[in-house]
Amino acid sequence: GQDPLFIFPKDKLVEEGSNVTICYVSKSHQNNISCYLEGVRMQGEQLDPNVSVFNLNHVAFIRETGTNIYCKPGQGDGIKGTVLFVSKVLQEPKDFSCETQDFMTLNCTWDPGSDTGLLKQLSQSYTLFESFSGKKTLCKPKSWCLWQVAPESQDMYNFTLTAENYLRKRSVHLLFNLTHRVHPMAPFNILFKNVSATSATMTWKVHSIGKYYTLLCQVELYGEGKVTQHNVSVKVDGAHLFSGLEPDTEYLAQVRCANGDYFWKWSEWTHQNFTTAEAAPSEAPDVWRNVKTVQGRCVVTLFWKPLSKPQAHGKILFYNIVIEYLDRTSVSEVLSIPAPASGTELPLNQCSSQIRITASNSVGTSPASVLVVSREPGNEEVEEERVKGTEDGFPLSWNPQPRHVTGYLVEWCEQPRDPPCDLQWKNLGPNVTSTVVSSDAFRPGVRYNFRIYGISTERVPYLLARKTGYSQELAPSDNPQVVMTNLTSHSFTLSWKNYSTESQTSFIQGYHVYLKSKAGRCHSGSEKAVLSDDVVCCKYKIDNPEQKTFVVENLQPESFYEFLVTPYTSVGEGPHDAFAKVTTPDEYSPTLIRILLPTVFCILLIMITCYLKSQWMKEKCYPDIPDPYKSSVLSLIKSKENPHLTIMNIKDCVPDSIEVLNKQEGTRKSLTETESTKPTYLYLLPTEKRYSSPGPCICFENFTYNQAASDSASCGHVPVPPKAPPSQLGLLTSPENLLKALEKNYMNSLGEIPAGETSLNYVSQLASPMSGDMSNLPTNPPEPALCSEYKMQMAIPLGLASPPSSGSSSLSSITLLDEGEHY
Amino acid sequence: MLPAAGEPAAGDSWGLLACLCTVLWHLPAVPALNRTGDPGPGPSIQKTYDLTRYLEHQLRSLAGTYLNYLGPPFNEPDFNPPRLGAETLPRATVNLDVWRSLNDKLRLTQNYEAYSHLLCYLRGLNRQAATAELRRSLAHFCTSLQGLLGSIAGVMAALGYPLPQPLPGTEPTWAPGPAHSDFLQKMDDFWLLKELQTWLWRSAKDFNRLKKKMQPPAAAVTLPLEAHGF
Repeated sequence: GQDPLFIFPKDKLVEEGSNVTICYVSKSHQNNISCYLEGVRMQGEQLDPNVSVFNLNHVAFIRETGTNIYCKPGQGDGIKGTVLFVSKVLQEPKDFSCETQDFMTLNCTWDPGSDTGLLKQLSQSYTLFESFSGKKTLCKPKSWCLWQVAPESQDMYNFTLTAENYLRKRSVHLLFNLTHRVHPMAPFNILFKNVSATSATMTWKVHSIGKYYTLLCQVELYGEGKVTQHNVSVKVDGAHLFSGLEPDTEYLAQVRCANGDYFWKWSEWTHQNFTTAEAAPSEAPDVWRNVKTVQGRCVVTLFWKPLSKPQAHGKILFYNIVIEYLDRTSVSEVLSIPAPASGTELPLNQCSSQIRITASNSVGTSPASVLVVSREPGNEEVEEERVKGTEDGFPLSWNPQPRHVTGYLVEWCEQPRDPPCDLQWKNLGPNVTSTVVSSDAFRPGVRYNFRIYGISTERVPYLLARKTGYSQELAPSDNPQVVMTNLTSHSFTLSWKNYSTESQTSFIQGYHVYLKSKAGRCHSGSEKAVLSDDVVCCKYKIDNPEQKTFVVENLQPESFYEFLVTPYTSVGEGPHDAFAKVTTPDEYSPTLIRILLPTVFCILLIMITCYLKSQWMKEKCYPDIPDPYKSSVLSLIKSKENPHLTIMNIKDCVPDSIEVLNKQEGTRKSLTETESTKPTYLYLLPTEKRYSSPGPCICFENFTYNQAASDSASCGHVPVPPKAPPSQLGLLTSPENLLKALEKNYMNSLGEIPAGETSLNYVSQLASPMSGDMSNLPTNPPEPALCSEYKMQMAIPLGLASPPSSGSSSLSSITLLDEGEHY
Repeated sequence: MLPAAGEPAAGDSWGLLACLCTVLWHLPAVPALNRTGDPGPGPSIQKTYDLTRYLEHQLRSLAGTYLNYLGPPFNEPDFNPPRLGAETLPRATVNLDVWRSLNDKLRLTQNYEAYSHLLCYLRGLNRQAATAELRRSLAHFCTSLQGLLGSIAGVMAALGYPLPQPLPGTEPTWAPGPAHSDFLQKMDDFWLLKELQTWLWRSAKDFNRLKKKMQPPAAAVTLPLEAHGF
C-alpha cells in the first residue's frame, strides 16, 4: 500500500499474562519513529533499518476497548496503531448448586467469577449438561439456570456446567438426588386463634412437596425481649399453641419449614404479629402521701406511680380510692380518679384514716395499696444531716429500727426550688438500712432534701432521718445584698439579713468580708488577702453562716473604703466583683451637728416667738410713746428705793414750763408731803411778765419726737446759743472739756442757787428701765440735789429764744447730762 | 475558514452555564420573542440556538467519558490525528466568506443534513459501547440530538423550506469494514465526536445569525459566543 508504516499484529486478542511481541515495518529509512503503549514510549529492538520489535511480557487487562499501541514518525502527523485486546482469564464456576422447591424445576446457581467480555470478545457463555438424560441447555444468565425436572421421576442428576469464551473452556460437575435438594417455599396464611391473656394458637399453611414428604417447621416467638423456638412437623397445615404469655403484650411469631426427611435448606421466614388480651393488674400501685393541715383539717395529697406494663396487664382506666376513718365516726369515702392521673388531693374529715388505692383496667382491679394517715406527725424533730452526693447518686443510710418495721421509704423532691417539687419516693425492704438515690434530674448546685421514713406494721410512716446535700457543690455565683448602716468616722455596720443560706449552690460555711483601703493596714481580726487582680485588702472571716451582720471598725475618718461580703464554701467563695464604696465622715462633724442643730433650732424658735409676740415686745421694750406707768423702771424704783416716788401727771403740767420742785435736802420727806401739791413753775417763755427781757430762755428739745436728732451726736444739737462765749463752746468739743465744763457749771449753779433749797428734778421721757441707772439714781445724786422735771411739748424757734445768760448755765448742763449719762 | 474548536478550559463549563442562565433570564425581555399573535420563526430559532448551546455542554462531558473509554492517545488533550477514515462525516468547517454568503435555506439544510448523519453514526457508536453507563449517556445524548434535529425542522417549516430528502442508498452506516482496524475505528469515533462538537459550535453561530436577521435591528440582542472544543 501507500502507507509508509505498518504495525503488527493487527487487533490481537490474548489472555492476561501472555507475552506479546509488537513489530513495525517502515517503508522509508526513518530512524526517528517512536512507539507508545498507552501513551508511554516503548523501547524496542531494531532488527533492521526498517523493522523494529517490542516485547511485551505478562500483559495485563486495562479496559474493554483494548490496549492502544501506536507509532508515529518524527515528522508529519501520520500515526499508525493497533489495539491489543487483553482478556481476563476465564475462571471455573464456583458454588455450583441445584435445588427444587416444587419437584418441577431445578434451579441451578453458581458464581461466575470475573467477566472476560471485551470490545472484541463477548463475555463467557455457560452450558448445562445432564449426563443421565443427555440433555443440554445454554444458560443465558451468567449465574443461574433453570432445568425442567423430568416427568418420569428421575431421582439422580449428574450436571456438568461449562463456561466458555474465545480463548478457554472450564467445567464443573454436580451429582445429586433430587429429594435431597428440596428447598421449600415460605409458609403462608398465618393466623392466630383463641388469643387470651396468656396463650394463643398459631396456624399456617405450606406449599405441598408431595404426599410422601413431611415438612419440619420452625416456629419462633419474639416478645418482651425474649425469643422462644419450637419445631413442628407439618404435612399440609401447621398449628402451634403459645402458652405462658404476658397479658396485653405484642408478640411477633414467625415460621419456616424444611424437608423433614432430608434436610437441605430452610425456607424463608413468614412472620405475623399478635397481641395478647388484657388481664387484671397484678401489682398494687406504689403510693405515697403528703399530709398537711389546712384550717385545722387534714388534707392528704396522694401520689402514685403508674404501673409498669408487666404489672398493669392492660391500659389502666382509673384509680379507686377508699378512705376509711379509723374511729368509725365517719362513713367511708370512695373515689375514682381517671387515668392517667398520678395523684390527687383529698381533704379528710378526720386525720386518722386508712386509705386504700387500687388500679383498674378493663378486666379487673389490682391489689390494694394501703396507707395510714395519723394526726401524730411522727418524729418531726429529727436533726438534719448533711450528705455528700456522688456521681452515682446520694448514698443514704440510717440506723436499723428496734421496733418492727415493714419497710423503709425515702422521699425527696426532684425540683426542690419553688414552686415545683416533683415528689419522688423509693420503697425499701425492712432489712435495708442504706440505699443510693440516683436520678437523671439531679443537677449540680441544687440542694436536695431527703426524708427517710420507717413504715410500721400498722402502715403508719414515721420520720427517721433527714438528709440534705448536693450532688455536686458549686461555688456561690452571687454575693449577699449588703446593707450598710451606722456609718461613723471609725466604723460602719454591714448587714445581709435577706441572704438565705438554704437556697445556695453549696453549703455556706461562713462569710469573708473584704475591705480595701488606701492605707492598706489591716487591724486585728483581719488578715491581708490578695485578690485575683493583685489588689491587697483586709479579709475578715465570719465562721457562722447565720451571722449576717458585721461591724467594720478601726477605720480612719474621712477615708475611702471599698468592701465586699462574699460567702465561702468548701468549693470556693463568691465572685470578687462589685465592691461597695464608702467614705467615712469627718470626726467632728457629728459633734458639731449635735450642737449646731439644737442651737439653730432654739434661735429659730426665739425668732419665731419674737415675731409672733413683736407687738408685745415692742410695747414692753421700746414703745412708740413711753408710758411711765408701764415702765418697769418705775416699779423698780418704787419697790426698792422710793415707794413715794410719783409720776407727774400730764394733766397737771402747764405746757412749756418747767416744774421746779424745791425740796430741802434734809427735810426731803416733809417737803414732799407739804409742798408737793403746789409745785413751783419756772416759766421759760418770755411772755411771762415776771421775766422781762433779756430773761433766760432754756429750750429743751424732746428727742423722743425727733429721732434723727437723738441718733446724731449730742454736741452739735445742744441748743447752744449762737452767742455763747467762745471759751465755753470750745470746751464742749471734747468729752474731757465737757466734763470740766459740767463740773464748773455745776459748781456755778450751786453758787447761784441756794444750797439745799431748790432742786431741779428731771424725769427723762426716754426713761428706759435700766436697772443700773436706777440703782445709781439714789446713790449718786448731784449735790445738792437740785431736782427739776421738764416736759417740752413744742419746739421753740431759736430766734425767739434769748441768748443764754450765765444764770441759765446750770440748766444747760442738766441737758448735757441727760444726753451723756442718761440721767 | 472558521476557527477550529479550541481546547477545553477548566472554567469553560461554568462560563457556559452562566451564559445559558443569562440567555434564559433575558428570554422574556426580548421584545421579538414576546410578540403576541403569530410569533413567527423567532422563538423557535431562539430555542434551537439554546439547544445547540446545551448540547455543546452535554457533549463536552460525554466526549470526555468516551475518549477515556478509548484510552490513550485519544483522551490526550493535544491529540490531533489526521482525518483519514472519517471522510464520510459531514464537515463543519467552511470558508468564512462562503459561510457568510449562505442563504437561510441552505444554511438550515446543511445543519439538518449534518445532524441527520451524525445522529446515525452516533447510534452506531452506542451499539458498540461495552459499559452500560456509557450506553445510557450516549442514548440520552442521541435523544437530545434528535430533539435538535426536530427543532431545525421546525424552523425550516416556519420559514417555508422543505426538508431535504435522503437519497436512497446513501444511508450512512457505521459497520467497520473488514479492512478497518480497531485502531482506525477508534480514530473514527474520535473524529465523530470532534466533528459533532464543531457542528454544534457552528450551529450556534448559524442560529444566532438567523436570529439577528429575524429581529428588528433595535431589538437585536447580542449574545456573546465563545469557541469551545474538547
